[in-house]
Amino acid sequence: MTIARKTHDRTTYEKDAPQPGRVLDARLHLLDRQLLDVDDVPVTTIDDLEIHATGGDADPVGGPAVLTNLLTGPVLGTRILGGRPPSSRLERIAWSHVRAVDSAVKLGIHGSQLDATWVERWVRDHVIGRIPGGRHDPE
Amino acid sequence: MILSDLLDQPVREADGTPVGYVIDVRFVLDGPPVGPLATPRVHGVLVSPRTGSSFMGYERVDVRSPALLARWFAWRHRGTFLVHWQDVAAIDEDGVTLARDARRWAPGYERPAPA
Amino acid sequence: MKRLLGVALGVLTAIGGFLDIGDLVTNAVVGSRFGLSLAWVVVVGVVGICLFAQMSGRVAAVSGRATFEIIRERLGARAAGANLAASFAINILTLTAEVGGIALALQLASSVDPRLWMPVAALAVWLVLWRVKFSIMENVTGLLGLTLVVFAVALFQLGPDWGELAQQATTLAPSGTETWPSYWYYAIALFGAAMTPYEVFFFSSGAVEERWTAKDVGQSRINVLVGFPFGGVLSIAIAACAAVVFLPRAIEVSSLSQIVLPVALAGGKLALAVVIVGIVAATFGAALETSLSSGYTLAQFMGWSWGKFRRPAQAARFHLTMIVALLVGLSILMTSVDPVKVTEISVVFSAIALPLTYLPILVVANDPEYMGTHVNGRATNALALVYLVIIVAASAAAIPLMIATGAGA
Repeated sequence: MTIARKTHDRTTYEKDAPQPGRVLDARLHLLDRQLLDVDDVPVTTIDDLEIHATGGDADPVGGPAVLTNLLTGPVLGTRILGGRPPSSRLERIAWSHVRAVDSAVKLGIHGSQLDATWVERWVRDHVIGRIPGGRHDPE
Repeated sequence: MILSDLLDQPVREADGTPVGYVIDVRFVLDGPPVGPLATPRVHGVLVSPRTGSSFMGYERVDVRSPALLARWFAWRHRGTFLVHWQDVAAIDEDGVTLARDARRWAPGYERPAPA
Repeated sequence: MKRLLGVALGVLTAIGGFLDIGDLVTNAVVGSRFGLSLAWVVVVGVVGICLFAQMSGRVAAVSGRATFEIIRERLGARAAGANLAASFAINILTLTAEVGGIALALQLASSVDPRLWMPVAALAVWLVLWRVKFSIMENVTGLLGLTLVVFAVALFQLGPDWGELAQQATTLAPSGTETWPSYWYYAIALFGAAMTPYEVFFFSSGAVEERWTAKDVGQSRINVLVGFPFGGVLSIAIAACAAVVFLPRAIEVSSLSQIVLPVALAGGKLALAVVIVGIVAATFGAALETSLSSGYTLAQFMGWSWGKFRRPAQAARFHLTMIVALLVGLSILMTSVDPVKVTEISVVFSAIALPLTYLPILVVANDPEYMGTHVNGRATNALALVYLVIIVAASAAAIPLMIATGAGA
């Protein structure tokens, strides 16, 4: 088996069949990309992705499965430091809101409609918005 | 399941032989349309025999320059292959186990025109 | 005509904005200890920052993605997080040095204790960040920074032995009692002062702030390729002034008053007043840039809304980050640490962290998915690879040299 593995290095594997839709590799196109809302306002960086089985199985492994949500929030900390947050602490942005995948991923809705933007809103309402001039255009 | 459960995990064949690490997960936008885009179907996992770290696809897409860098990254990930999702048998704390007759495919794909 | 004015303004602000406390201190210290024997490093550093700034500006203009978004996307959360921690810490250190520099320059003008000036300086920086438009901020500090040309004028008025200076500049070796390790240590410090990562964070984010598109790439190239070399000439003039005045007397520059002394000797009170204006403008401008860079890097890593083109309330966490960064810098200064020493350390750490920022930009500048037809050309890539080697070598050698020389002592 070890001999076979060595030869794999130079083996050219057969090409995969052409796919009926656009190919997205998670790390290459989605993970750690900037997420923009419908007005191009930054929402978050995509920290992780959530996968669900489509066949009604609980376990998506090996069976038909799809990407359901973009994730943000505490999951960034566990990606850097290890472990994983409980499912209830995942901040989800449904794939159905995604309008385009480009050098940034774009949503079709306003960021303010998402639960995931609560920290930004909190800092705005309790800190920055209360300092005089904070709600005016720079001159 | 979240993607971190999968990325960088060691990959074994059905008989336990280690074959590498998951460096990426491939989706294809051919699921049911749920919003402006189709649902991304999990198509397969990309396995590199060497290391869990990837340099963001330098080894897969047609970025060929600077040639020295491109060659170095390609060399580090030589032997990378794609396994279809239905050939993934199990995922647990010890990593990913492939099905008994799992087939390996070339990791490249047809690149969409630049936006 | 309007276009020509735009080009001229861009070039002038690039010259005036090139110098910061790091360049001022490092060039003067090096001039006083090594004469012009390290002037070649300034040339290497200027070519490097031209290349690097031009690539990151082009990436930002074409793709709309600023440098730290690219770093996060290419390196992933963990490696980019480590990069963020290092870059952010160095940025705070540089910000501390710049605010300290403003206070020291104001002390020269007023004889008021710099620790009284520091809170005033920090508050003034924040007010500009809070209320002033990006373009006005950049143009005013850049144009006022041009007064540092007085260093070049002073050099002529000092009437130096030009043959001696040329001799120094072509002798690539330590002079007198200086050793090779400290020669190389200061070579890295000069390189780090010319190629500070914050300049690249600022430059690429500035391209987004000013809504550059692929059409503006030409203009930005002129700004960089003309402005930065002139900034480099000023750097060498500072070193030459110090070499003329201090090297023969074996005095090592260790304070801001010594840095400006050659100008005062050459041009009297008026020249001194001009150079103080220049230093305040340069350090104030750089304090703005480093504060902004701390906001840019964290916001871009986390994907927060950022930018001075938005109201503060629409980039709340970005503005909060800058406030916290200024407060941290101010509290470091309040411990009575010497801003000149902070500067010397910060430029070396800049050199150490440089590869982490440089490599992702180089890779993305070659990615047609981001850049379309604006990918790097062959000549740029050849030069970029040479610099990759230089940058990695400088980064790897910095800490051993720092230990071997006791930080250049």
